[in-house]
Amino acid sequence: MSWNLVLYGFINTALALLVSPLFISLIKKVKAYAQGRVGPPILQTYYQLYKLFKKERVYSYQTSFIIRLTPYLSLAFMMVASLSVPLVFIPAADPGLGNIILFLYLMVMSRFFMALSGLDAGSSFGGMGSSREMTLSAIIEPVIIIVFGALAYVLQTTSLFDMFGQVRENSFLSNPSLILTGISLFIILIVETSRIPVDNPETHLELTMIHEAMTLEYSGPDLALIELSHALKQTLLMGVLLNIVAPWGLASEPAAGGIAVAFLAFVIKGSLLAVGVGIFESLMAKFRLFRVPGLFMLAFFFSFITVIFKFLA
Amino acid sequence: MENLILAAYILPSVLLGGILLGMRLFRGSMSPGILAGFSLGHGLWHLGLSLWVLLVLPLPHYFMESRYLFVDQLGIFQVLIASVVFILAALYSRGYVSHLLSNKELDIENLPVFYIGFNLLLSVITFAFFSNNLALFWLFLELSTLFSALLIATLNARDNLVAALKYIFIASTAMIFAFIGLIILFSLTRQAGSPGTLNWDELASLAPLLSPSVLGLSALLILTGLLAKSGLVPLHNWLPAAYAKAPSVVTALMSATVLNIGIVGILRLSALLRQSQIGETFSNVLVGFGILSIGVAAFSMLSRRNLKKLVGFSSIEHMGIMLLAIGIGTPLAVFWMLFHTLAHSLVKSGLFFSAGIIRRQYGSDRFDRIFDIFRLQPVAAWGVIMGSAAIVGLPMFPVFLSELNILIQLGGVSVWLVLMVLFFLLLVASSFAIFLLKAFTRSEKNTDRPVFRTPLSMKLPIYIIMAGVVFLGVCQPQMLADFLNQIVKGLGF
Amino acid sequence: MLENIPLNDILKILLVLVLVTSSLVLWQRSLTSLFKTYALQSLLVALVAMVFFINDGHLTLLFIALLTLFGKVFLIPRILNRILLQMNIRRDLEFRFLYPVSSLIVSILLIFGVYQVFSNLMGEVMPDRLFFLGAVIGVSMALMGMMVIFSRKKMLTKIVGYLSMENGAILFGLFVAELPFILEILVLIDLVILVLLVTVLAFGIDSTIEDFHPRFTPLGEWFKKK
Repeated sequence: MSWNLVLYGFINTALALLVSPLFISLIKKVKAYAQGRVGPPILQTYYQLYKLFKKERVYSYQTSFIIRLTPYLSLAFMMVASLSVPLVFIPAADPGLGNIILFLYLMVMSRFFMALSGLDAGSSFGGMGSSREMTLSAIIEPVIIIVFGALAYVLQTTSLFDMFGQVRENSFLSNPSLILTGISLFIILIVETSRIPVDNPETHLELTMIHEAMTLEYSGPDLALIELSHALKQTLLMGVLLNIVAPWGLASEPAAGGIAVAFLAFVIKGSLLAVGVGIFESLMAKFRLFRVPGLFMLAFFFSFITVIFKFLA
Repeated sequence: MENLILAAYILPSVLLGGILLGMRLFRGSMSPGILAGFSLGHGLWHLGLSLWVLLVLPLPHYFMESRYLFVDQLGIFQVLIASVVFILAALYSRGYVSHLLSNKELDIENLPVFYIGFNLLLSVITFAFFSNNLALFWLFLELSTLFSALLIATLNARDNLVAALKYIFIASTAMIFAFIGLIILFSLTRQAGSPGTLNWDELASLAPLLSPSVLGLSALLILTGLLAKSGLVPLHNWLPAAYAKAPSVVTALMSATVLNIGIVGILRLSALLRQSQIGETFSNVLVGFGILSIGVAAFSMLSRRNLKKLVGFSSIEHMGIMLLAIGIGTPLAVFWMLFHTLAHSLVKSGLFFSAGIIRRQYGSDRFDRIFDIFRLQPVAAWGVIMGSAAIVGLPMFPVFLSELNILIQLGGVSVWLVLMVLFFLLLVASSFAIFLLKAFTRSEKNTDRPVFRTPLSMKLPIYIIMAGVVFLGVCQPQMLADFLNQIVKGLGF
Repeated sequence: MLENIPLNDILKILLVLVLVTSSLVLWQRSLTSLFKTYALQSLLVALVAMVFFINDGHLTLLFIALLTLFGKVFLIPRILNRILLQMNIRRDLEFRFLYPVSSLIVSILLIFGVYQVFSNLMGEVMPDRLFFLGAVIGVSMALMGMMVIFSRKKMLTKIVGYLSMENGAILFGLFVAELPFILEILVLIDLVILVLLVTVLAFGIDSTIEDFHPRFTPLGEWFKKK
């Protein structure tokens, strides 16, 4: 176990946990401005998490151990997944750790437990949320695999470490099909983090919820952990997208200066992407559930084109 | 000096456009009689000019340095046919359009648009036949689509608009593929050494050098566009609807001239490809499409209740016969195909003129609305009967000669095909006979149906056509035969 | 390949974006954003022509770029938007045969098919990979445009589909061989006339106004009417 890997583990996970709430609030702020409001302050999510940690947990009498376990499991899976996505520097470790399929299925595990916990309390809204979430997940999963597969085919490797390393050398200017993959990854980002047009993260009406419905039963520190894992998932997906399309600033070894620069670069790029997501959300309305596969189809189409491009040019 | 000829061809249309624009600006208006008269004058001017070109100018003659436009025997032959049909149509339009106006089927405001489209269509057709450059030919084909669609749509009915739009979309979509084929052809010629040309004559000399498979692909794409414009299967869907809904004078013009542009284009394309290695395959493809068109048309005709749609399918069938002749490729087949264009144009326009009278009388083209026709509209009735006999291929009419000879040439290829085509022709004949029997033998008790007084301007074209068709069928002047032989030789068959 | 490597890459990026717009034309339902997508597509085609001009220096290419820019990015979308304002529809909700999901699947098959045909036949005509890529994308765009025409009901969408086909043909032409200038101008004029005619006719079909008579206004009147 080299100290490189240990250092990488600490820095990556800590950084990811640190900036995730920032990105969430940034998106909220952009949406608020688009709606003509001032919106919550940028650090609001941090305050929110702090507040939640101070409150007490309340569980329904009908729940089992699942609901008590899920917040920890969810966050744990996400933190392990964060090891697969180098945000500041690429570790000199076994590429298998950064396997893209591993990354995908760690996220799916987290979602699986969330769905179970939604069912746990026996309330109809929770069950509804779980079933909707699983339906969408069942449809998006093959598409994600195809997108990741296309990415792997183009870059000739399945490990995110190698992918980022390759793209660092020559950016998308020399591999224009990565633009298409970027668009597909953006669509996946929207779907996985339950944003408009797939799901409205700020709705308070239970019948319009998909993801939020599963978290209705949580309170206190549990809720904080759930929110944090959700934010972490978003950051990781943003990290994949950013480091594939715009890898500038990513360091290849843990030099102190390099890490600082990379950290700054990631925060800036991430903020820009967050603003982009916010604007994208503000431009659209939520799709009817049956139109959502159309969106996935676009992602699928683009990844196929990516493969064709590799053939052709 | 020769560019003056081109200017002379386009002059009347431009004049008309200017006059009508002036009238619009100064709030004047023109009666349909004057406009029809102008069109008649335009047609006569056109005919005269073409005859002069034929007799005085040594053909083939190229205009301008770029040689984009030219006049050769085939072109002038087709332009002469178009002029004659146009003259007859202009004459016919006088009475027809007046009735449309009085029946409120045509808005008085749309009248100038109608006549501008009418006249410009003739100019566009002429220039299409005069194009040496394939891309220019493509352009004029597109313009002919637009103007014919405009003419179809001038009546205020939703069906017309739907038919016109369907026509535009099918034809223009196919023409885009033809454009892609043109570009491939152009780059092929660049490969063979020349700086890149799309002129028919230069292409003919380069054809043996071009790579066969790519040439085949490009020819197939161009063929797609031309198939759509000629109303051949599988791109024929626009034809029955467009012909049924359009005013009969427009249908007559379209079926006699615009379809010819397409088929003549296929003829030139085939002449080109015969020089290359892929000629065999291409001819077989043409034969296949030809027989397919005849077959589909024959079977579709059986259940037709609408006269104009019936005649429309007959157009598809005859285009199929012409395509078949081009595919066979022997000099005799092409000779009779050219003769067929003349015969078909005349007979078809006669049929549509008569159908127009029937429409004016009964308000519909369907057989179950036609009663007592021999008493009410004898001219139209005999026009339809003679026209049907002619179009089906009875002897004494020219179509008999061309069909017979084309079939004989087909026999040289395969006897089974001859039998198949004969069967289809039999179906066609029966369809016409059934329709005529069903429509013309009805009479009704109610004898005070208003009679549409057919003006002489509508009857005269039918008389002229009847006479001309019988003349052509009985004795073919040697001059015509020599002229057609020249064309066949000029194309290289 | 073009002499400049950066230009090569720019071309590839532009081609990628053109394909994206083409699939968006297939996918979208809102007519206003459809027109904007078409304008974007034409802009990209004009940029491709511009890149070729920078590389070769043929004035024809510059004129094609400017003509495309003026005619298709500004003029035609304006005409379309004006027609849209006069009609009462905003979104094309009816798909006739192919829904977006299946349209995209069919497009994938089409692109693959075109690639196969071209790689078998066009070896001699296509000197290098980049031109081959452009040719395949051009023809694929034409086919996808054709799918739009046949799978949608509203006339305006069909028009945009046809225009997209035309863009594909022009893109194909830019990569394979350009025709002499005069012909390009005439083609563009033909396109404008076509769009005008079809929009005027379409007004009668797509309009949701119940009262139908009389629908066809002569072209002169239409220009005066606001």
